Amino acid sequence: MTVKVEVIEGGIPHNKIMIAGIVSTLVCLYLTYLNVLTSTEMFSFFGGLAVIAALIWGSHTIKVLCSYGIGTGVPSAGMIAFGSGVIAMLLATKFGFYAPIVAAVLAAIIGFILGYVSNNILNMKIPAMVQALTEMAVVGALSLMGFAALITGGFTFAGLTTGHVTVMGMTLLTHEQSFLGGCLIAVAFLLGAIAIQHPFNACLGPGWTQDRMLMLTAECGFLSMLVAAIMSFALISTGSALISLIIAIIGWAYTYNEYMVLSKRDAAAWLDAKPIPEVEGH
Amino acid sequence: MSAVAAKPTAGSAMNPAAMAIGGVMFLILIGICYFIYPIGVMPLILIVVGGVLIGFGVHFVPVGGAPAAMGQAPGIATGVAMLAAGGGLAGLFGGAWAAAAGQDALVVVITGGIGGGLMMAITCMMVNFVYVFGMGIPAASGKVAKDPITGDTQAEYKSQGTEGHGLPFISFVGGVLGGIFAGAGGTLIYLELLEVYTAALPTVMGITATQVVPIAVSAAGMFAVGMFLVNAVLTAYNITGTIEGPHDPKFKRWPRSVVASAVASALCGLVAILIVAM
Repeated sequence: MTVKVEVIEGGIPHNKIMIAGIVSTLVCLYLTYLNVLTSTEMFSFFGGLAVIAALIWGSHTIKVLCSYGIGTGVPSAGMIAFGSGVIAMLLATKFGFYAPIVAAVLAAIIGFILGYVSNNILNMKIPAMVQALTEMAVVGALSLMGFAALITGGFTFAGLTTGHVTVMGMTLLTHEQSFLGGCLIAVAFLLGAIAIQHPFNACLGPGWTQDRMLMLTAECGFLSMLVAAIMSFALISTGSALISLIIAIIGWAYTYNEYMVLSKRDAAAWLDAKPIPEVEGH
Repeated sequence: MSAVAAKPTAGSAMNPAAMAIGGVMFLILIGICYFIYPIGVMPLILIVVGGVLIGFGVHFVPVGGAPAAMGQAPGIATGVAMLAAGGGLAGLFGGAWAAAAGQDALVVVITGGIGGGLMMAITCMMVNFVYVFGMGIPAASGKVAKDPITGDTQAEYKSQGTEGHGLPFISFVGGVLGGIFAGAGGTLIYLELLEVYTAALPTVMGITATQVVPIAVSAAGMFAVGMFLVNAVLTAYNITGTIEGPHDPKFKRWPRSVVASAVASALCGLVAILIVAM
C-alpha cells in the first residue's frame, strides 16, 4: 500500500507550490474586498484568479496523494476536497471580513480529522494522506469562496444570500436570486471539483511532467472561470461581469495554447520513454 | 491509478486503538454541539445515522472499476465515489421532492431509499445488458463458487485468467440494496438540516419564513451533497478499489467504515449546524 510508484524528478518542490498557492489565493480573495472599499463590483475577477491559484496548488496535492495508488480513482480526491471544503466555506462566510482566513483554518481542521480517520481507522497507512486531505479541504473551501467572490462580488453570508431584482424601475431585495438561494453554489461546486481532478487524471503515467500538468490545471481553471463569469451577469453589474469574462477568455486562450505547446514537446519525448522503473518493495 | 497496476493491499485488519479514538472523537463532537446549540443534538445524531447508512450501504454496491470495463472483473465499470454519488444523489432528489410535497419524515426517507434503489437497479440492468449483448460475456462471480441466492454455479461461466465478469444476481441485489441504504441516508441528512434551517434561519437572518425557504433548501441540499461525497469517498478508501457485493470478502471491512462515517458525519454535521448557532 505504501509503494510509491511515481517519483517527482526535478520540477518545483511541493512545499513551494503549497506556500505560493495559499498566499496568492488569500491575497486574490482579499483583493476582491476592494469592491467594498470602492463600492464597485469591478474587482470581482480577482475571485476567479484566486480559484486558479488554489486549483494549481490542489492539483499538485492530488498528484502527491494519488502517486501512492490509493485504488479509488483520481476523481474521488477532487470530490472529497470540495465535499469537505463546501462545509467549511459556508460556515466561514458568517465571519465577514475574516471569512477567507476562517475558511482556511476551519477546512484544515476538517481535513486533518478526515485524514486521521482515513489513515488510522480505515487503515490506509499512506504517509502523505493526512497532509494531502488537509490541503485539499483548504483548496476546496478557498476555491468555492473564490467562485462566490467572482459571481457575487463578495464573500460574506449576507452577500451570498441576498440579491436585487429590478421590477418596473424599482429595486427589490430578493433571496431567490442569489448565490446560495439560487443554488449557483452547486454549479460552482462541480466546476471546481472537475477542474481540480482532471489535470492529474489526464496527465498521469510515466510521461508525467509537472509544468504540463500545472498548465492544464490553469487551463481548466480559466475554463471554469469563464462559465462562472457568464453566471455572474445575473448578480453583478454588466461591466464588471464583462471584465471577468474578458480576463477568463484571454487567460484560457493563452493557457490552452501553452498547454498544446507542452503536449507536443512531451509527445516527441515519449519516443525515448524508458520502461517503467521497478520500485523497491513492490 | 498508475502505470504500474499496483494493487492496493491495505489490510483488512482493524485498528482497535484508532477505533477507540474515533469513538471518543465522536462523543466530543456531540458534546460540543450540546454545549453550543442544545436543540441541535437530536438532528446531529440523525445526521450521523444518515452518514453511517451511506457508509454501510456503499459496501453493497458492485464496483468493478477499470478491470470491469475490460470484462476482467465483475461489477459496474466505474469507481466507488462515482457510483455512490449516482445512486445516492438520485435518492436525495427523490427524497427532496417528497419533502417539498409536505410528506412526513418516514415517507420522505423511504422515498429517498426507493429513488436510490431504482437508480441502481436501472444502472445494474443496463450494465448487464451491455455486458451480455454488447461485449458477449456471461455474468459470473470469481469470489464464490455458488451464487448465495440462486445457488447457480459460477465456475463454468468464468473465463480463465479473469476474476469473473458481468454482473451476477447477487451483485445486482447488492447494488439495489446499496442504493436503498445510501439514498435513505442522504435524504435523512438533507431532511434534518432542512428542519434545523427552516426553524432557525428566519431569526438569524431577520427575514420571514417564506423568504428563508430557498436559502434553507439550497444550504441543506449543498451540505447534504458535501457530506454524502465525504462519506462515499471514505468508504471508497475502506474498500480500496473493487468489490463484488455482499458476498465479497472485502465486505467484512464494514465496521471500520461505520466508525469512520460516524466521526466524519458528526464533524461535518456539527459545522453545518453551527451556521445557525453563530
